[in-house]
Amino acid sequence: MTALVALNRVSFSYPGAERPALEAVSLEVLPGEVIAATGAAGAGTSTLLLVATGFAPRIVGGTLTGVRTIAAARCGVVFARPWTQLTGLCPTVRDEVAFGPASRGLARADVLAAAERALERLGIAHLAARDPAQLSGGELQRVVVAAALALEPEVLALDDPAAELDPEAADALYDALPGLAAAGAAVLLATPDLGRAARVATRAVAMADGRIVAEGAPEKVLTGTEVARLARAAGCPPPWPMDLAALRRRVAPDTAR
Amino acid sequence: MIGYVAGHSPLHRAHPYTTLAAAAALLLGAFALTRPAEVWLLVAAAAGFAAVGGVLRSSARTALVLSLPIWVLLFVLHGLLGADPRVALGPLALSAPGLARALVLGGRVTAIVLGFLTALAATSPHRLVEAMTAGGAPFGRAFLLASTLTVLPRMRERAAQILEAQQCRGLRLGGSPLARLRALGPLALPLVLGALAEVDEQVLALDARGAAGGARRTALDPPSDSAAQRALRWTLLLLVVAAYAWKFWRMRG
Repeated sequence: MTALVALNRVSFSYPGAERPALEAVSLEVLPGEVIAATGAAGAGTSTLLLVATGFAPRIVGGTLTGVRTIAAARCGVVFARPWTQLTGLCPTVRDEVAFGPASRGLARADVLAAAERALERLGIAHLAARDPAQLSGGELQRVVVAAALALEPEVLALDDPAAELDPEAADALYDALPGLAAAGAAVLLATPDLGRAARVATRAVAMADGRIVAEGAPEKVLTGTEVARLARAAGCPPPWPMDLAALRRRVAPDTAR
Repeated sequence: MIGYVAGHSPLHRAHPYTTLAAAAALLLGAFALTRPAEVWLLVAAAAGFAAVGGVLRSSARTALVLSLPIWVLLFVLHGLLGADPRVALGPLALSAPGLARALVLGGRVTAIVLGFLTALAATSPHRLVEAMTAGGAPFGRAFLLASTLTVLPRMRERAAQILEAQQCRGLRLGGSPLARLRALGPLALPLVLGALAEVDEQVLALDARGAAGGARRTALDPPSDSAAQRALRWTLLLLVVAAYAWKFWRMRG
């Protein structure tokens, strides 16, 4: 299977930074995958997303190939702060979500259909006529994800997409990701939410200081958390990994929400 | 109040080009007219423009606040320091030609400011972008123009949020002018730095959604234009040309 994006020993530095944000990172992103990248703050997961989707093109080492053609709108990106991703020009959520397809010059009916599909997919069709500036953080987060989905990207990069969401909405968003991947897209996820990531990812990448320190099946890569270690020591049953929310769901499902 | 105010006035419903053409005609007309009575007729026209847009009170108040310092400056510069003959105004002996000059210049500023405040208040940035998109303008140009129209309201909203946050952390507003000036520091720095920090992400987000893709954008809801509005725009252009022709004809005479 041909990789949509392939990073081969890629290094990247922000101007004026003392050390590279990414150092000799190699990663292949295949269609149908949900890759969860995780690590401590500053580990380089957000930069990995930017580089892989072509938004940080001036790499200082290695090679980067594959789908990175922003002009063709084949990469959708969602950043952690949803309010910075609004155009500020659209009076309704529908217009906001339709902005991407309209930029591609599609026919009006196709633009609106793409927007409706994306709104339905995120379960926010009821917000279509609302003013984006009046939405809550969680609603806004789903709107910006829908705006990225409306482009029907081949690679969807999500940087901590549940940062503003309540647990139920976060679950719904993460649960939608395998469906996107099944439709042929690749999802690249930077997240500290190990529990949800482990549930939906097909592959996990752990990063530290700009390097990939572990890569493989989520149940192997994401088991290193303290909570998982404690749970294991306490004799809680697998599957691993496990975070507090997952532990609570498993041990006391009635109190999990 | 500076910025778009939602409404249903004839000006809000008009094609954005018509509203902007009227504001531009006020601007150009202001420099074509040279006598106090003519310029004050133009100020009346600007007030009528604001009334049609349903924003007369708010726009006139802001225009007054913005142009008041200029009025004071003109009054001092031309009225007090202008050439003879003098007219008595209470205890002051003011320059008659200087006062006429101040009235013309002040009237021009007032008409222009009022006209543009009205256009800002009655032109939806979204409709303007849609109109420009439908007309085939590149999105970058439309976005630049529309974001210029929205920059002040956005900064004001952000400033209010920062002020609230700073007040929660003990910032005291009010007091002497010096104290008020000192309170500007905790407001201005995060306002500017925050805007700069977010603009990078905003540009990436727009890029990600194909804004710089180069394809001709689809207008989803282009505002309707009509033969009457097009005729009005041509009439405004002809009026401006006529005003300049009259001005130069008088200058030759």
